[in-house]
Amino acid sequence: MASSNDSAPAIRASEVGKVYGRKEALSRVSFTIHEGETVAVVGPSGAGKTTLLHLLAGIIRPDSGDINLGGRALAGLTPGGELSRLVGVIHQQLDLVPQLSVLQNVLAGRLGRWGLARSALSLAWPHERETAEKALDRVGLADKLYERTSRLSGGEQQRVAIARLLLQDPQVILADEPVAALDPARAADLMGLLAEIAGHSGKTLVSSLHSIDLVRKHFSRLIGLRNGGQLFDLPSADVTGDMMDRLYDLRGIEGVETFQGRDYG
Amino acid sequence: MNSQAERGSGERPRIDVPRTSAAGFVALAIVSWIYIVSGDSGLWELFTVETWKEAGDFLRRLVGLETDGTSAFLDAASWKKALRLSVETLAMSVLAAGIAGAAALLTFLPGARNVGFGQSGGARSRVGVAAFFVTRGAFAFTRSVPELVWALLIVFVLSPGVLAAALALAIHNYGILGKLSAEVVENLDPRPARALRAAGAGWGQTLLYALLPQVLPQFITYLLYRWEVIIRTTVVVGFVAAGGLGREFRLNMSFLHYDDVGLLLLCYLFLVVGVDLASAGLRRLAR
Ligand SMILES: Nc1ncnc2c1ncn2[C@@H]1O[C@H](COP(=O)(O)OP(=O)(O)OP(=O)(O)O)[C@@H](O)[C@H]1O
Ligand SMILES: [Mg+2]
Repeated sequence: MASSNDSAPAIRASEVGKVYGRKEALSRVSFTIHEGETVAVVGPSGAGKTTLLHLLAGIIRPDSGDINLGGRALAGLTPGGELSRLVGVIHQQLDLVPQLSVLQNVLAGRLGRWGLARSALSLAWPHERETAEKALDRVGLADKLYERTSRLSGGEQQRVAIARLLLQDPQVILADEPVAALDPARAADLMGLLAEIAGHSGKTLVSSLHSIDLVRKHFSRLIGLRNGGQLFDLPSADVTGDMMDRLYDLRGIEGVETFQGRDYG
Repeated sequence: MNSQAERGSGERPRIDVPRTSAAGFVALAIVSWIYIVSGDSGLWELFTVETWKEAGDFLRRLVGLETDGTSAFLDAASWKKALRLSVETLAMSVLAAGIAGAAALLTFLPGARNVGFGQSGGARSRVGVAAFFVTRGAFAFTRSVPELVWALLIVFVLSPGVLAAALALAIHNYGILGKLSAEVVENLDPRPARALRAAGAGWGQTLLYALLPQVLPQFITYLLYRWEVIIRTTVVVGFVAAGGLGREFRLNMSFLHYDDVGLLLLCYLFLVVGVDLASAGLRRLAR
């Protein structure tokens, strides 16, 4: 089932590991993700999902192994403008600036392309306002342009984060439990929006989440993490309920045996 | 059993802290009263007829019921002067708050530990660490010297007047405002800034879009609170730095013009209440 895609993969992780003190948060994780793929990262709390996504985003550096983005070594990419066009992140917690208006929080997605002077001026006279308006319209918040961000609900704030990502316009979208704080209906709604946005523009989407229903609906592939190790890497249709049970099982966190995942790439 | 017995016998007699300190307090109070009553402390003067008569006289003079010539409260010239001095005092307080605020705004950033030590973006540099200790030292020094002492020092250099008084107030309040705002930065939620950096923002942009929007409302609140304190302190600083209501207050006291003193006190009262109200209103706006 080799992919027909012969360009450089969007993401290639090889033997990636991360250690916090004595705790191995992630050990020898390897996978290849092609452009336009939608990949879900699942696993119990503390499995290393956030660690993995932050490594891919260049927010933290791996202690071992290499990460390539679009054929280029992540370690060689300078943070700021260049990296921000390759990957964009939606965080597990709401990471907007609560005191700024919705408009300014969305426009912040452009900071990687703007110079300091333009950024400063834009606080008083918003630059590229129409682009921000379009993005907010897309996520269904056109009427909240000038609302103070702290007044929005959690779900609305995640939508603002998505709108910011639309302005940042990266090739890969990394989302860390983007729907964890929402009720099931809104979670399904927002995940759908994110998948649609990624699908519409052919972007690669890698997201951690806990709902197997949402995974089956929106993601083509599933990477299971447990205790820092890679338990499986399968098309989401092939993942059985038994595998999920074992992934989330409270017993036997040590001595994890791995399923033989099919090789992608 | 054995170990318990051992512990019981080895234990020192415990001191009952609340009871011992209560007893000590009572003993001290008794000794103090014996000292006051037996010594030459002037306590008995409080209970003499003359004292009460004098106090009554003073109060009547203060509210203008007993004066030589026309009372200051009925004199247009006195009112005019008092009002002019009130405006001058208000200007003094605004100037002081403005200087302190501007200086604090320009220097609070290196005074925040997370900025100086490079924990919020930027690398940890020797310059940053040095700047941290220098600014924190400046904050500590300027605020530990009281306004009155600053005023005494400043009138050696500057001629006494509104500016000297405002400067004395500004220096002391600069240290307070600087420390408070640096601590706001230290307690900020780091996540919005981290998200901005992940979106490609540089250090200056993170400052503009994450740090300042989070710090400024709090800073303005602190500045307005300090303004309230400053207007209260203007009178005392005006004593030595010879500016505003404070100077006139002292002059009239030494000339025994108690009705003028009363008028100045009234103006001062209105000034303090007015600033308190204005500050409360502005703080609501800033939120
Ligand atoms: N900054 C850190 N310092 C020390 N340990 C950390 C740090 N970040 C993560 N860890 C540890 O690494 C392990 C993996 O954490 P991670 O946040 O990646 O888990 P997660 O799968 O995202 O969990 P959750 O579902 O609760 O978000 C955990 O045991 C965690 O305690
Ligand atoms: Mg996590």
